[in-house]
Amino acid sequence: MTCVPGKPVVDQAPPSGREMVIIAAGLTVVCLVAAMILGGLYFVTQPAKEHNLHVREETMIRGLLGLTPQARIQEVRRYLKREGKDTQVIYLTGKKLAQLELDGKELAALDVPGDVTAAGSAEAKDEWVKKQIKVADPEHLKYAGRFFVGIEGSQPAGYVVEGVTLGFKTWVRFFMAIDSSYTIQGVEIIEHEEDPGLGAEIVQRYFKNQFAGRSLADIEKISVIKDPLPKDWQTALEQLGDMPFRPWAEKYREMLPKNPNIYAITGSTISSTAVTVGVKAALGNFRKRMNIVEKYL
Amino acid sequence: MSEHRTPPPVSTMLMRGLFEENPIFRLALSLCPAVAVTTSVKNGLMLGVAVLVVQVLSSMSGSLVKHIINPKIRIPVFTLLIAIWVSAMDMILAAYFADIYQQVGLYVKLIVAFAIIISRMELFSMKHSVVPCFWDGLGMGLGFLVGLVLAGAFRELLGSGSIFGIAILPFKPLLLVVLPAGGFFTIGLIMALFNWVDVKRGHKLPSGGGGAHG
Repeated sequence: MTCVPGKPVVDQAPPSGREMVIIAAGLTVVCLVAAMILGGLYFVTQPAKEHNLHVREETMIRGLLGLTPQARIQEVRRYLKREGKDTQVIYLTGKKLAQLELDGKELAALDVPGDVTAAGSAEAKDEWVKKQIKVADPEHLKYAGRFFVGIEGSQPAGYVVEGVTLGFKTWVRFFMAIDSSYTIQGVEIIEHEEDPGLGAEIVQRYFKNQFAGRSLADIEKISVIKDPLPKDWQTALEQLGDMPFRPWAEKYREMLPKNPNIYAITGSTISSTAVTVGVKAALGNFRKRMNIVEKYL
Repeated sequence: MSEHRTPPPVSTMLMRGLFEENPIFRLALSLCPAVAVTTSVKNGLMLGVAVLVVQVLSSMSGSLVKHIINPKIRIPVFTLLIAIWVSAMDMILAAYFADIYQQVGLYVKLIVAFAIIISRMELFSMKHSVVPCFWDGLGMGLGFLVGLVLAGAFRELLGSGSIFGIAILPFKPLLLVVLPAGGFFTIGLIMALFNWVDVKRGHKLPSGGGGAHG
């Protein structure tokens, strides 16, 4: 028990009923004021925070795909509509809003007006989609993930898929760049709350770049091993980022088969496995979904 | 508890945080973050500023609410107050200083648990009114900031041969100091320096060693 300086400990008897009421009232007042301050600040700072995030995401996508400044980035959002046992998938691409059966059979497709395509905020897009798709209860239509298409001239120059995986404490959000043959060009961690010095190392090149250059077949049978990271492989991994993906892959092509698995971060096997599982799932799902959505891009 | 003690003069309140009662080197409080972030001057400075702001705001708000708070629950209330200001700092940094937030975001959240802040609220805010609390918080915050910058400068210069990321030395004199173990050596060395200066000025070393509060 801590004691107030200058007062004997015997003073700290259990509070009386009246005292308890006063304590509760004081706490309530403090909490109310706290909630108002934090609520107000959140209201003021949230738009700026979202804008920063948007800018950062775009820079990251351009970096991952090695796009020229003229290239365009088109977001593709995916929604799920669940009513009873019936589940439909809805894709919002740059051109079309496609409403599909789970197996890809088209139910409806309509053109997307230019102002919706150009809208920067996700909220504006979601609003529009909710207006187009009729559901009995707004809870039945849910946002279910997104990916980006990098468009160079009028040709797709690569895709960036957003993935989410459960890390040591909470969700880890990452971007994964993929070319048209489903080979990973790079992984970036966007948001995580892993421990500094341990799980937070997933953002380091020597970890995240281990996925680069691997094909769909490689990733399907990849696993996490606890062996120490070989020195020459680490040196190679540290290069990607200073060097664009293509020349890097060219230079270190022969090292990939020698290191077929992901080397876990020392002391952070859970975080390492989480990212690996996430990448595996995101790539597999993207391939399945791409078969369906490709014609609407 | 509610009567105010006469506060010491402003200069004393400001200076004692910097030297006599420097949170890191004299009180030996919050050493863990001090070791963790001081790998460069910039990191130390940014976290130092964040701590300074949180310290000032927490000390002042602690002083404001002390009359409506039963002393029995002061510790949870202090924690709550610190949490408010840390969350506010977190939101403001994320919104308007995105680059800095990228680097110190993880540490800013940890300020909630910094012993120095709650200790100043307990030792000073409970006994003084808002204005002296501002000066005391400012002094303590500055002391912490200077401590972090000092340790950061020492470690960055010796460990990476640079200051503020600008290369000064063409080589890395002592890589060890930038590693976690080197953080302890650095803090220990500066602490020894503080004690040495203190002895030179005619003070006796406290029997407990470094910390004036034991």
